[in-house]
Amino acid sequence: MGNKQTIFTDEQLDAYQDCTFFTRKEILRLHGRFHELAPHLVPMDYTNDPDVKLPLALIVNMPELKENPFRNRIVESFSEDGLGNLSFNDFVDMFSVLSEMAPRELKAIYAFKIYDFNVDNYICKEDLEKTLNKLTREELTPEEVNLVCEKAIEEADLDGDNKLSFADFENMISRAPDFLSTFHIRI
Amino acid sequence: MRRSIYAGHGTWRNFGNLGLTEDEIEEEVENETVQLVRELVELPSRACRQRIRGLPMNFNERRNIRSQVFSAKLSKKSRLPTCCTDFSEQASRSFRRFGAGLVTARRFLVIWQNTLKEIGGTFGTSVLSYFQFLKWLLMFNVFSLLINFCFITLPQIIHAPNITHATGFRGLELLTGVGYFNQTVFFYGGYDGEVIETPPPYNMQLAYFFTMAAYFLLCGISLIYSMAKSFQTNFVLHSASVSGGAWRLLCSWDFSVVNEKAVQHNKNNLCVQLKESLSERIQRRAVLSLSERMENVARHLLSWLISVLLAVGCCAAVYFLLQDQVVSNISQDPDNLVTEASTLAVPVVVSLINLVVPLLFSLISRVDQRSNPRTKIYINILRNVLLKMSILGILCHHWMTDVPTSVSCWESYVGQSVYRLVIVDFIFSLFGSFFGEFLRNIIGTKLIPSLGVPEFDIATNVLDLINAQTLAWIGIYFSPLLPVIQFIKLFLIFYLKKVSLSMNCQVPRQSGRAAQMQTVYIALLFFPSYVGALSLVAYTVWSLKPSELCGPFQGLSRPFQAVQDWADTVQAIPGSQWISWIFYNVIKNELFFYLLTLIVLVLTYFIWQVAQGRKQLIRTLREQIANEGKDKAFLLNKLQSTQKQRRPSGISISQDVSTVPSFTQNWMNTFPLDM
Repeated sequence: MGNKQTIFTDEQLDAYQDCTFFTRKEILRLHGRFHELAPHLVPMDYTNDPDVKLPLALIVNMPELKENPFRNRIVESFSEDGLGNLSFNDFVDMFSVLSEMAPRELKAIYAFKIYDFNVDNYICKEDLEKTLNKLTREELTPEEVNLVCEKAIEEADLDGDNKLSFADFENMISRAPDFLSTFHIRI
Repeated sequence: MRRSIYAGHGTWRNFGNLGLTEDEIEEEVENETVQLVRELVELPSRACRQRIRGLPMNFNERRNIRSQVFSAKLSKKSRLPTCCTDFSEQASRSFRRFGAGLVTARRFLVIWQNTLKEIGGTFGTSVLSYFQFLKWLLMFNVFSLLINFCFITLPQIIHAPNITHATGFRGLELLTGVGYFNQTVFFYGGYDGEVIETPPPYNMQLAYFFTMAAYFLLCGISLIYSMAKSFQTNFVLHSASVSGGAWRLLCSWDFSVVNEKAVQHNKNNLCVQLKESLSERIQRRAVLSLSERMENVARHLLSWLISVLLAVGCCAAVYFLLQDQVVSNISQDPDNLVTEASTLAVPVVVSLINLVVPLLFSLISRVDQRSNPRTKIYINILRNVLLKMSILGILCHHWMTDVPTSVSCWESYVGQSVYRLVIVDFIFSLFGSFFGEFLRNIIGTKLIPSLGVPEFDIATNVLDLINAQTLAWIGIYFSPLLPVIQFIKLFLIFYLKKVSLSMNCQVPRQSGRAAQMQTVYIALLFFPSYVGALSLVAYTVWSLKPSELCGPFQGLSRPFQAVQDWADTVQAIPGSQWISWIFYNVIKNELFFYLLTLIVLVLTYFIWQVAQGRKQLIRTLREQIANEGKDKAFLLNKLQSTQKQRRPSGISISQDVSTVPSFTQNWMNTFPLDM
């Protein structure tokens, strides 16, 4: 459209637009944000698709993620190696899923991944306890934590195996209409 | 290595425990990919792109799938000569880029983007919804302003720029709207209904009528569409209680809050709510004795009685004030400042009622102790809506029955009354912010620390906005440039509330239910507010006699007469018989509307029955899941006991282990998630 930018080729920008929920301008702005996290590591020229990954510690210092109790899990869920090292594509992917245009099903899948701390495709009682501790900063006694997690599993578990599979989680999400608007990070 | 892949119809497969080899996994993955690409190629390009965006795989895999789908699509079209495919490919690409450029430009025009992000980051989503509602109302007014100005005001100004002012400009006009503004294009009286002869002839009467009609129609469509969309996403059927612990844990954390203090605050809130729900669970609710139940009923009735009496009292006060007000004095003696200022009495009283009585209602609701906070909010909203709408009803009744018979240019008079109400309402909301939030903050922090910092009361503020917008809608017919005032008012209220919020208020405690409340607010905006204003304007156009001496419809028996006359003239033009056919048989014919209503009712009944059937289906399927879970547990137990029996005889166990999990795993994952 007349913008003389040399960061991405037009085909790359078309691919970003078709595969994420962002427009060209937002992709360029995201690149700017990614670059300012580590100016000496991230190249300004992405036309030949360099393989640059930023470590977890740099990404969780972004103002949008700094105060979030789940920042580590969020970044780990979107990284390819599961350790939190994000390439630019993973970075864009992360904010695309967390943007307000992503559909509920996609957000539910990633929310499940985020809350699944031990990465076994089930949310078990230990995962819930870790979630609860992150959300309340140890103001509840261990008995209360236990009770709440038991109650949570009792309510959501449909097939009686004492842990939440993705189907159980999605069923519970469908009963919470606020989920779409709360599972949202603005960038 | 554990791999998971997304399969086409929405299931989430896990190959981890199946014991397949690495090659078998690779083959499965490739088969799934090929199937997915085949599905995507069938779809039209826009739906295809939406699907690709929604695939839950990482970006590189999605890009891969996209390039496969596009090359497959290209090869499908390759029967055409290459120059045509190249051209169509380039054309579609540049068209898509243009569309994306438009979207970017539109986002650039969106105001307050950063401010909203800041508010959402500090106070959460429910407070943000108030500001988004305000922004949405602003759009209605901007649209109205544009079309009114272009189609009605501009031709009038160009055609007849000579205005005689009865008096010079004094400051009081800004509040009362009479005097200097009396015959200007600001009010109905400043327009005349001549046909402007510049080629092509521009009929001002028809322009006035059709502009108003088009605006109300578009507003109605937009409201119904938003309401339907909001209802669809936010009101889901809940068979079990939604406010349980699991929901609160996993779904209610607001990820968009980035401010450290706000995050800490939200954590504390969550803690308090969880402790409350635990203590509720521990003390089983005792069955209320008969006397306690009677006491509850008595309390409810008492609070309703007091509220209704209060509302009736206020309406009676407004009614008698209106009767007392000397209606025709203004047109007789335009220089008398005192009589002019006395016209402000009614707006001041109305705004005072709207400010003070909701506080009284919230005090009354403390008498009526309901345990469910959601019911409390709904009852509070209901009482406030009843009060505001009945006061507006009294005003409209006065304007429709008493005013047309006693004032000469009565539409301008009504327009000026609405103008006064809008301005005074704005001034009182300034005061309300000051007293309600600023002083309450001072009292809460310095004088009586136990009260604490005030919360931002979303319900009251949204109802105030709805009231303001109702006034604007009522006033548009009588004062076409009223949207200017409404726009400025909403603009200033946005900044006022934002400053008040950051200086005075804290994050609201009960932060759930924002989405459902949003639907309720849009529904309130549609039902009493828009429908009321529309029926008022429709009644004016259809039945009331327009004033003889001013306005575009002077001389007609009713404003709709202009359209009837036009339809008659159109009938004379050969080739446009269909317009008059539509007019006489569709718009003026009652049978058409009866049939339409009947069809809509039948459709509604049918859809309701389908919904009932689906509810039953969900119930049955849920029981089925529970039963299958029990089956699985039973089978696993049986397996373990069989293994214990077989172990002494030395048969290898690994085969048994691999067969049963694959049975249960495949069964678990083929359960249909989309019903």
